[in-house]
Amino acid sequence: MENKHIIGLFVHNHPGVLLRVTSLISRRGFNIDSLTVSPAGVEGYSRMTIRINGDDDQVEQFINQTMKIVDVKRAQELPESGSVASELILIKTSTAGHDNNEILAVTSKYHASLVNLGDRSMTFRASGTPKEIDTLVSELDRFGILEMARTGIAALENGDKTLNA
Amino acid sequence: MKLNGSEIIAECLLEQGVDTVFGYPGGAVLNIYDALYKYSDRITHILSAHEQGAAHAADGYARTTGKCGVVIATSGPGATNLITGIATAYMDSVPMVAITGNVTNDLLARDSFQEVDICGISLPVTKHNFIVKDVKDLANVIRKAFRIAMSGRKGPVLIDIPKDVTGAIYDYEPERIEPISNPVLSEKSDFEEAAGLIAQSQRPMIYMGGGVVSADAEKELLEFAEKIDCPVATSVMGLGGFPSSHRLFMGTIGMHGGYETGKATDNCDLIITIGARFSDRVAGDREKFGKDAKIIQLDIDRAEINKNVKTDSHILGDLKDTLRILTDTVEKTEHNEWIAQVTEWGKKGGVTETPRSDDYAHPYHIIELVRRMTKDSDIIVTDVGQHQMWVSQKYRFEEPRTWCTSGGLGTMGYGLGAAVGSAVAHPDRRVVLFTGDGSFHMNLNELATVCSYDLPVKVIVMNNTVLGMVRQWQKLFYGRRFSQTDPHRKTDFAKLAEAFGVKGMRIHNDDDAEDVLKQAFSDNKPTVIDCRISPDENVLPMIPPGKTVDEMITEME
Repeated sequence: MENKHIIGLFVHNHPGVLLRVTSLISRRGFNIDSLTVSPAGVEGYSRMTIRINGDDDQVEQFINQTMKIVDVKRAQELPESGSVASELILIKTSTAGHDNNEILAVTSKYHASLVNLGDRSMTFRASGTPKEIDTLVSELDRFGILEMARTGIAALENGDKTLNA
Repeated sequence: MKLNGSEIIAECLLEQGVDTVFGYPGGAVLNIYDALYKYSDRITHILSAHEQGAAHAADGYARTTGKCGVVIATSGPGATNLITGIATAYMDSVPMVAITGNVTNDLLARDSFQEVDICGISLPVTKHNFIVKDVKDLANVIRKAFRIAMSGRKGPVLIDIPKDVTGAIYDYEPERIEPISNPVLSEKSDFEEAAGLIAQSQRPMIYMGGGVVSADAEKELLEFAEKIDCPVATSVMGLGGFPSSHRLFMGTIGMHGGYETGKATDNCDLIITIGARFSDRVAGDREKFGKDAKIIQLDIDRAEINKNVKTDSHILGDLKDTLRILTDTVEKTEHNEWIAQVTEWGKKGGVTETPRSDDYAHPYHIIELVRRMTKDSDIIVTDVGQHQMWVSQKYRFEEPRTWCTSGGLGTMGYGLGAAVGSAVAHPDRRVVLFTGDGSFHMNLNELATVCSYDLPVKVIVMNNTVLGMVRQWQKLFYGRRFSQTDPHRKTDFAKLAEAFGVKGMRIHNDDDAEDVLKQAFSDNKPTVIDCRISPDENVLPMIPPGKTVDEMITEME
């Protein structure tokens, strides 16, 4: 059954490593909806978090293929129930024709903070699970979203285990 | 010791035991070629006519020796010309290190003359690639490249080196290269599970592939197959990995495989897949492949497990080790009834051969004649198309690494380059290239190389004046609309050979074939034999793409 899966990658921070991973995703036809890269906290290594759509076999194949990339040290699925996954959004809504308080009533439910007030717009910053962010976006939709930027997912497994090899 | 980058490259090649490289010089590799001049007593460089030929030669060298092939080319077009050769090696898991020059560091990323991003271009067809921007990294990158190419599932690695790096001076410290060993990744319980499935099986078959040859595991496979008394089918890539004359050998499996291998696949209760990958040319219908069978898979590449066909049990590691352990784990068994059944299929599954004609030679006749004139250790190379399939069906291979063909990528134009590499690697053996007029037209320029080095290559051009394999598909699936497959070129391959300084001969039909071949094989001179084949000859049997043996075509008009 098709599902969303989060895969964590611990990779050598070599030039081109992002290209190697994305090139593999594209040529093997994997369907991803989020990819983030950041320092892994270990000198010379980066952490990638990738969310892919697929069934269990596709996820297994994705991990196996990814592990063949020389610069990838570890690749592992982060189980949904046993991990914390979060992303950040900056979102600019139109204020034209709406009461600012009406908008703020929505954003406060999601602990979104107002980071900029324009003549006809408000910009918010919020973080949360991808699902929470999706809901925030859909609730703000009726005011008119002018633009938004999402960082993509960062995720860590619960407990003492780490991906760092 | 202080050396320049190019001398470091030469020293690192020597560390790896490399004594032969293939390539073509150019502006960005002038420094490297200057070092090759200096090291010419220890490293032989074979100059091709085109970089693609050099890449195929390195591939042929690697396939027939088990060593890592090395090819050198200049930046820009030199590098891009390697790509088909690298991709061919990648698809067939052939170890190769390709060294390309690039423009100097300060000219990189400025669209300079003969600059190309060869790392970007080669990324999907290499196991890994490097650009070495600093001479201090050079030696270790070369060592890593060889290690990657030769370890696990083998494959090509590219090293791109800007010209200033090959000229820069740096300290070189020789290193002793540790032999590569691939760990067995499966547990004892995995072997026991597989042995259990084998013990339960009444009708097992082995489906082997190129992995057996790549792992040099032919002895281990033979022992295993004999202990469990199990018929063996091979992919085209696996030919030579199991002796054709053995009573358990069934032949090739798949689109143009034999009737018995197809029937066995459908009727067996266990398929033991060894170093093979269920490609679409073998498992046309992935869902129905071995529909009533359990499947065990032995491979070195974890990503091959459950990639195309779901398996019930798998064993990961070097086949040489895993086969030995599995052989020790299984009980000795016999499958007389099942083997008798398979033999029966083999007898009645014969295709209707086209009637022989006075105007043409029959490909099977030519192949059988050649087989009579060659030793088991002689090397057979092919290009891609009908001739390739005829050879894979009819030639009786007895030894590993005597067979060079582009199985995965299906590269027309592969053959002559690969024949050059095979002949350079084995001056004591005969190399026979079977090619077609279509394939040969693609890269026949390497006749210049064959002539220059006086390589004992016998080229048999199965000349049917058409692009036979594509034409066969047009007959079957496109209402005989022969779009662009009837070129009927006037090329006289015998005369052409002579123009290159190579002996040229002709076979007109079955009657003169034996005499001509005898004469051709009486010396070690490079020879091209233009052999007239009927344009209407087909490769049969054929399982149409996506189908099973039930829909096998055994007759065509």
